[in-house]
Amino acid sequence: MGSHTITSRTPGVFYHRPSPDAEPYVTQGASVSEGDTVGLVEVMKTFHEVKADAAGTVSKILVENEDEVTIGQDLVELET
Amino acid sequence: MSVIVKDPGLETTVQDTGRLGYYSIGFPPSGALDSFAYHVGNALVGNEPGAAALEAVYLGPTLEFTQDTVIAVTGAEIPAFIDGEEIPIWESVAVSSGSVLSFGQLRAGARPYVAVAGGIDVPLYYGSRSTYTLVGIGGFEGRALRAGDELAIGSEARDPRAGRRVDPGDVPEHPATAEVHLLVGLHSYRLTPESLERFTGTDWKVTPDANRVGYRFRGAELEFVPREQPFGAGSDPANVTDCGYPVGSVQVPGGVEPIVLLQDAVTGGGYATLGTVVSVDRAKLAQTKTGDKVRFVPVDLDGALAVRQERLAALDRIRSALA
Amino acid sequence: MTATEESEDTETRYDFGGDEFVYVELSAAMSLPVHFRSLAITRRLGEEAIAGVEEICPSNASYMVRVDPDRLHPRDLVRELQRIESEVGDLSDDLTVATRIVDVPIMLNDPWTHEVLMKFRDRHQDPTGTDLDYGARINGYDSTEAFIDALAASPYLVTMMGFVPGLPWCFQLVPRERQVEVPKYVRPRTETPERAFGFGGAFAVIYPVKGAGGYQLFGSAPAPIFDGEQRLPDFAENDSVVFFKHGDVINYRRVDRDEYDDVRAQVDAGTWRYSYRELEFSPSRFLADPDGTNASMKEVLYG
Repeated sequence: MGSHTITSRTPGVFYHRPSPDAEPYVTQGASVSEGDTVGLVEVMKTFHEVKADAAGTVSKILVENEDEVTIGQDLVELET
Repeated sequence: MSVIVKDPGLETTVQDTGRLGYYSIGFPPSGALDSFAYHVGNALVGNEPGAAALEAVYLGPTLEFTQDTVIAVTGAEIPAFIDGEEIPIWESVAVSSGSVLSFGQLRAGARPYVAVAGGIDVPLYYGSRSTYTLVGIGGFEGRALRAGDELAIGSEARDPRAGRRVDPGDVPEHPATAEVHLLVGLHSYRLTPESLERFTGTDWKVTPDANRVGYRFRGAELEFVPREQPFGAGSDPANVTDCGYPVGSVQVPGGVEPIVLLQDAVTGGGYATLGTVVSVDRAKLAQTKTGDKVRFVPVDLDGALAVRQERLAALDRIRSALA
Repeated sequence: MTATEESEDTETRYDFGGDEFVYVELSAAMSLPVHFRSLAITRRLGEEAIAGVEEICPSNASYMVRVDPDRLHPRDLVRELQRIESEVGDLSDDLTVATRIVDVPIMLNDPWTHEVLMKFRDRHQDPTGTDLDYGARINGYDSTEAFIDALAASPYLVTMMGFVPGLPWCFQLVPRERQVEVPKYVRPRTETPERAFGFGGAFAVIYPVKGAGGYQLFGSAPAPIFDGEQRLPDFAENDSVVFFKHGDVINYRRVDRDEYDDVRAQVDAGTWRYSYRELEFSPSRFLADPDGTNASMKEVLYG
């Protein structure tokens, strides 16, 4: 078992869910496939989907909902 | 001869020197935000100075070329690849038909530019090929690029040649705190003297609300001098009788989050403006991203003109060296 | 016009908007005499065609000049502007401005802006009523209907173009005591319908495209003021994507739902044309007799 960290490709505000009332994209323990959406980053009034660039199980979500994130910041840790 | 958009990036648009001459009817200039990177890109690929190029932000696009040509990537510090092989930026590079340009993760700056020999050939709209997305005009169908778009390339490159290279000393740096020069004035008297000092003394953080229209900052609160509002201005102390906004002017709606208006901004309105960023320094602002810091350095008119002359002279020198 | 309005403090302020703009504020407050002076200065500046003056942007109580500082030092430009200001002086009686009066149908208290404004009551000064109710109350009208009548009773002058392409800022051609003034929304709306008729400060506008906005919403215009593709003859024949010009006189004519729909149908069919007449506008004559001048301008328009 290894681990992989999904990082942000853009700066902005990180969201766990597609809309305030919706379920989060992923929670701890969820399994994700490569290409699955794990969150949103809002920047310049547009929402950019954060996609898993590896498959695995979510071991940790490293940022709070609505945290401001920078490029390259660790967002979600996977056990692969 | 064309470029096929495989992946558009975040918001990639066609831009040139801008749509000048229609400000008085409400058209902002649009055009490349980092005019330095844009002009140097054209010089690298041997284009005439006003040829249209692509401006991306944060995420570079993935582009396929349908014919042999020469390209150059300038602006932000970002790894660029042709068919997976890293290529130098601030340097003209030959690409062959079928080649794909892609980008890695941005290291510094915010906006990469892609210049192509011959320029991006979209129709002129009010004298410019620049995209102005707010009303959907100019550029490619008046909007940011989408996957599957096919952009024509102009055939009139003056002198396309690979291997032209900008002297490393001339490549702009992207410091942790960008300094831009500000000519204080316009309605600066509406702010208390302490607030004006606070404005130039603060390292302002770029918020996520930072795009071609304008940059919104966070970092301090500013206070207006209380007054009885003049007729026509409306009741909010941040308001003045509606007037024209210079490109690059700074306004503070509500006193909390100053906004610098950029090339796609509104041309006028009723917010008090406290000064204007010197035109050549908008290029520096364009390379700051959400989370970066910006400091406004006050200058007088002579100082502003000196900054302008110095920057334009440097561009002339670089162009001559690349010719 | 009252004597105080004519003689109020109008110390002109010259300032630099960075290295490429000169900003000239004739007065902090809006008034027709101030605007007419600004109009006279900017028209004269245009005629002089000074090298390095790239663009002249007239506005309400101020104007802006975009300058090429590599050809004309902004400080030298200010000297030229001061010279023109002193030459223009106070309005001479024989100053006239070639303009046109345009018939602009408008549906006040329309369903489209009503729907939007009701969505944003939490951003408004008065969450309980409508924007028209609020405007009527703070401007001292007995009823919303009386307020609506006043809005459409007298024509407006386009005193500034901009914000977004084609948007006319309109100042009603009535003495100060009859001018409507309303604040902007407490927090701007994220939504405004296309062609909404709004009011903020002392200015009426039509929004050319949908988008954010902070003006009070009073009605909707059925005819477009921006036509990016120049589909309609008014735009195609003038080779322009915007219809209005600085200095135009607009007569907002109240229409009901049937006439609104009829104009929309003409727009959809590509046959809509604004009705307008060219005329010479005399600021001094207007200031001497606002209502008489307005009546004769309407006579020119409607015959």
